This record gives sequence, structure tokens and C-alpha cells, in this order.
Amino acid sequence: MKGYLKYCSRKLGWYIFTFVIALMLNFFLPRLIPGNPVSLILGEMSAGMTDTDKYFKIYNEYMENFGLNLPLWRQFLRFVVNMFHGDLGRSFNLYPRTVTSLIADRLPYTLAIQLPAILIGWIIGNLLGAVAAYRKGVFDKVIFPVSLLISSIPSFILSFVLLFTLSMTVKVFPTGNAYAYDILPSYVTLFGFLKLPTWKFFSSLIYHWTLPFLSSVLVMIGGQAIGMRSMSLYELNADYVLYAKLLGIRDRKIVRYVFRNAVLPQITGLASSIGGAVGGALIVETVFSYPGIGMLINLSIRNVDYTLLSGCTLMTSACVLAANFLVELVYGVLDPRVRSAHSEEG
Amino acid sequence: MAEYILDVKGLKTFYRTRLKENVYAVDGVDLHLKEGRVLGIAGESGCGKSTLATSLMGFYFPPLHYGSGQIVLDGTDIMSIPYETLRKNFLGTEIAYIPQAAMNALNQTRKVSKFVVDILKEHRPDLSKEQMLNLAREKFEFLNLPERVLSAYPSELSGGMKQRTVIALSTLLNPKVLIADEPSSALDVSSQKIVISMLKKMMKEGYVKSMIFITHELPLLRHVADDIVVMYAGELVEEGTTEQVIFDPIHPYTHALMGSIIVPEDGMKAHKLTAIPGAPPNLKRVPPGCRFRDRCAYAREECARDARVGITRFGPENSRYHRCVFSEEQLRAWYGEEKRRFGIGGGAK
Repeated sequence: MKGYLKYCSRKLGWYIFTFVIALMLNFFLPRLIPGNPVSLILGEMSAGMTDTDKYFKIYNEYMENFGLNLPLWRQFLRFVVNMFHGDLGRSFNLYPRTVTSLIADRLPYTLAIQLPAILIGWIIGNLLGAVAAYRKGVFDKVIFPVSLLISSIPSFILSFVLLFTLSMTVKVFPTGNAYAYDILPSYVTLFGFLKLPTWKFFSSLIYHWTLPFLSSVLVMIGGQAIGMRSMSLYELNADYVLYAKLLGIRDRKIVRYVFRNAVLPQITGLASSIGGAVGGALIVETVFSYPGIGMLINLSIRNVDYTLLSGCTLMTSACVLAANFLVELVYGVLDPRVRSAHSEEG
Repeated sequence: MAEYILDVKGLKTFYRTRLKENVYAVDGVDLHLKEGRVLGIAGESGCGKSTLATSLMGFYFPPLHYGSGQIVLDGTDIMSIPYETLRKNFLGTEIAYIPQAAMNALNQTRKVSKFVVDILKEHRPDLSKEQMLNLAREKFEFLNLPERVLSAYPSELSGGMKQRTVIALSTLLNPKVLIADEPSSALDVSSQKIVISMLKKMMKEGYVKSMIFITHELPLLRHVADDIVVMYAGELVEEGTTEQVIFDPIHPYTHALMGSIIVPEDGMKAHKLTAIPGAPPNLKRVPPGCRFRDRCAYAREECARDARVGITRFGPENSRYHRCVFSEEQLRAWYGEEKRRFGIGGGAK
């Protein structure tokens, strides 16, 4: 147990270090994009304005408000201090909305697609891979090539194919958005604190959610099934399997040994796929005009919206790091080799 | 009580390749093992030794398949009983196996104690968990393993300890026949010595009634085995007591094998070591006749005459056999002549 705590604290240290680096990248990279967002905003506002003094006065006020007149390192310090107060600044493009409120609006949509896609995709993919490896024969001959095909199609192509077939040709599903145009988000409150969408709103949400979810989950299933299949095949041929069989241990138990070991690298795969989900969300949400974080990132890049872009990427990197950290903690419990390797070296 | 504790008759097993070709790695093997004896199986890499070892367990899984023959273990033909009976009542209890690669023989993510319980739950479900662990403790103590091994993961053990742990696990239930497949090949010389002396001690204490010891290291067999059979290309080519096979080999292959051994003894430097040229035949397409003839220094036309060369019994009370076309006297005459010409001789070209 002491070894495990040591393992955890070492890991935590590394993750904090990584977060600091990520924080700096998130702040500085968007600000290195050429172009000044204040000019962009003013360009729209000042259409028809003739008084240049007034223009500069507004310009300077904006610059001061956003803190853009300060040197970059002081802006960074202000950003970090504000971050700890839960304030990520205001969006340039959607002024005066705060970045946190924008993210809070969009995040549920992205989570609603990506979380189930990752979890369900991971579970189904691993089950299929394990079955293909263990049962061989027809299972393997069908599951393996299909998984290979699906996972090697780029996700935007898969999204387009689904969009084209299921919503444009057959017209079973809508072409985009999170809910129908003629519906306003409406909620009911249960027990005084539980805010739930009304049935009409909810069914519209599910109806619009299906296609983006499908295109996310299919890619995940394919990739996981391939990985799990080859890991299981490798483990099934390991020496310990033969030895356990020759000691008279029943097949069911040996299969459990095998899949427990085969799934270990897949857990690492789960962590990295959470990172990949951000990229996936960007594409899927853009194709289906789904109002999630991916669309928000897309929007903020197009409008040189520093604060919004930093906020979104910061949030996603924090999520990815947190997910990876959790996975490593689980890994430490499941694999004694990892645990001992780390406690000895420290 | 049968005469032999293990009696193998005409055992044929094969590997089926992806192209549905059958490769007979064990091709008509007869073996007899008496209680209290250690039988050594010698041969070079790829001759089918390890396949024979797993085949003797009566349990096959692809790509290895059972062809024909009997494996009679203490009166029961284990090839004729259903798999579940074999698994529950024989594997790990009556007949046990020590694998070649002990390094990888244990599941890395399972504690040794849990594995002990897994094994014993199959064969002795009547025991409590504590009794099961005590059984293991007893064996561990016998093998000079510290008790902490029980609560360790395999990755926390050294190579020698892993090997001894595997021995302890294989002998938990005092098997009648223990098949050791090169149990010491991956160890350094001192760990090797410990493992060998442990195995001998187990025989002496009666934990193990009889043993089949498979190795490519002939000098090792001299210290372990009572009898030796020599295997070549899926067939047994010579049988005799350890002394007979090592100091008076008759079959040209055995003869050549003995000529290629380095023994740390006086006068060894003056010895001319001879390697056997060529490689064993491809078992996918075994040529008719003697399988060793392409590499044999004494090969004549007669060697290819019959489809298969049968065994010829000889020696005191016909206790030995060899699988050569020529008679014992003829072979001895050739060896004598060679010795006169070259000093000590091997049987190679």
C-alpha cells in the first residue's frame, strides 16, 4: 500500500508539471496568431464611423479592458491568477459573454456524445476483439476485417457517409444541430434541484444526437477491437497458458487470466483515446453542426478569439490530463509490474 | 499394478500448418517408464523432444494434434478417457509437467498464492484455502524457497526462484510421473545444479515416483537419468541405460552426438571435437529409409531400401535397441577401424 501511495504521488507530480507546460502552450500559441482581435471587433462596430479620435478612444478602451496593452508575460500572470478564481476572461467575438459561461453551455453537448462513445466503444470493441481472438473461425474472419475497415476510414469521411446515406438519401435522421428549429429548450425541475429536459425537448435531442454519436462510436469500436484482438492472440499463445492448462486448470479460468492481461494495454489506449476524442469532436461537430466544444474551438480559431480558444483548449487539456491520471492510478492497481517498477526507482 | 508406470505405444502426434499439411514431430514413439526410474530423452533442437513432452500429457491443442497410439498411465490409457476426466484426475495430479521456459510459465499478474489456490481448487476442492497454502508451504520449504514467495508476484522473483516455484507448483500433488522439459536450460550453472539436485531429492523422498527428463545437454543426463533414449527427427533411435548410451553408443547418430560433446575432463584438449554436418530432415516430407542417412558417415545404399527402418534389439537380455540398418557388430567394426585411423572418432562425415 505504501508503494502504491508513492507511485501515486510521483505520478501526480509529473501531471502537475505537464499541466504547467500545457497551460503555457494554451496561453501563448493562440496569441502568436497574426491579427488583432480588437481591430476585428471594431471593424464591424465602426462601419460608417468617421471620427478617428472616437475610434482610437474606443480602441484603447478595449485594449485596456482586455489587458492587451500590457506586455505578454504580465497578461500571462493575470490569466493564471484569474484562472484560479475560475475566470477565463471574456470572449472577443461574442463579447460580453464570459468564456466560462460559453464553455458551460456547450460542454454538455460534447460530453453527451464523446463520453458514451468512448465508454461504449471501448467496451464493445474489446469484447469483439476478445471474441475474435478466442473463437477464431468465422468470428475472426468477419470482425477483424470489418474493424480494420471502419477504423481506417478517416472520421470525417465516415461522418459524411453517414450524413449522406442516413439523413440525405434515406432521410431517417436530421442533417444537423442539437435539436429541431421549432423547439425551445425547456426543462422541468424535479425534487427542487434536479433540472431535466422536458420529454419533447429530450426526444428531439436524442434524435439529433444519434448520428454524431454513431460516427464517433464506430471509429472507437473498430480501433479497440483490432488492438484487443492482437493482444489476446499474443496472450493466448503465452507460455503460462500452456502451463496452466497442463496443470489441469479449467479453460474458463485461463481465459480470465488471458483477458485480464490483454486488456492492460487497452486501458492505456482508453486514456489516449480521450485525447483523441477532442480532435474527433471538432470534426464530428463541424460536419453535423452540433453545438459542442468542437464547434466553439472552430469558431474561435476563425475569429482570432484568443481568450475563448485558450479557454477551450485549457479545458480539454485539463480533462485529458485528469483522465490519463485516473487511468494510471487504475493501472497501478491492476498491474503489479508497473507498481513495483515505480516504487523501486524512487 | 502395471509393470510400467508409463507405457507409451506407437504414439504419433503432428502439427497442422495453415496450409493443412501435417508435420509429424512425434512419429511412432514407444516408451516405457518404471516406477522409481528417471528416463532421459536426448536429442538436438527440433527433433521433437518438447513436442513429445507435451504429447505425453495426453492433452492437445491446435496446432498440435493427436494422431494415433496409446499412453497408458498406471493402467489407464489417458487417450481413451474424456478430456474433463483427464483434466480433473490426471493433469497436475498423476502426471505433471515442468516447462522449458519457467521465466514465462507464470502469469505475471497473479500472485503465487492465488495460483496455488487455482490449481488445488481443480483437484482438491475438499481442502480449505489454508490447507491448500500449507501444502504449498511444505513444498516451498523442501525446495528452500522463502515463504514470502507465496505472497509475491512472479515479476518479483529471480530466475532460479521462478524455476523452483514452478517445480513446487508442478509437484504440489505428488505426481506419479513428472515430465521435466529442459528445466535448467535457461539457468546459470549454479542454479542449474540446485534445480537438478532438488529434482533428485524429490525422487528420493518419494514426492515424485518417476521422471522423464528432456534435455539437449548430454553431460547433464549422465547425472540425472537411469536410462536414456535418443531422439532424432521424431523417432527414437537408441535406448539403453545411461552408462551404455553415453559410453558405448551404437547408433551412428548417438555415436556422432557423443563425439561432439565438450566434457571438462583431463585430456579433453587433445580430443578432436566433431560436429555433425547438415541439418535434420524436414518433417513435412520425410524421405523414405533411415532419416539420418544424409548426415551419416557410414551411409550405404541399403539405408534407403525400406520405407522405415525398424529397431534392432541387442545387448544383455536384449535390453537395448537401435534403429540402424546395420547390425551392432558391423557398426562396432566400423567405429573400431575409425578409432585406429584417427584416434578418437565421431561418426560424422
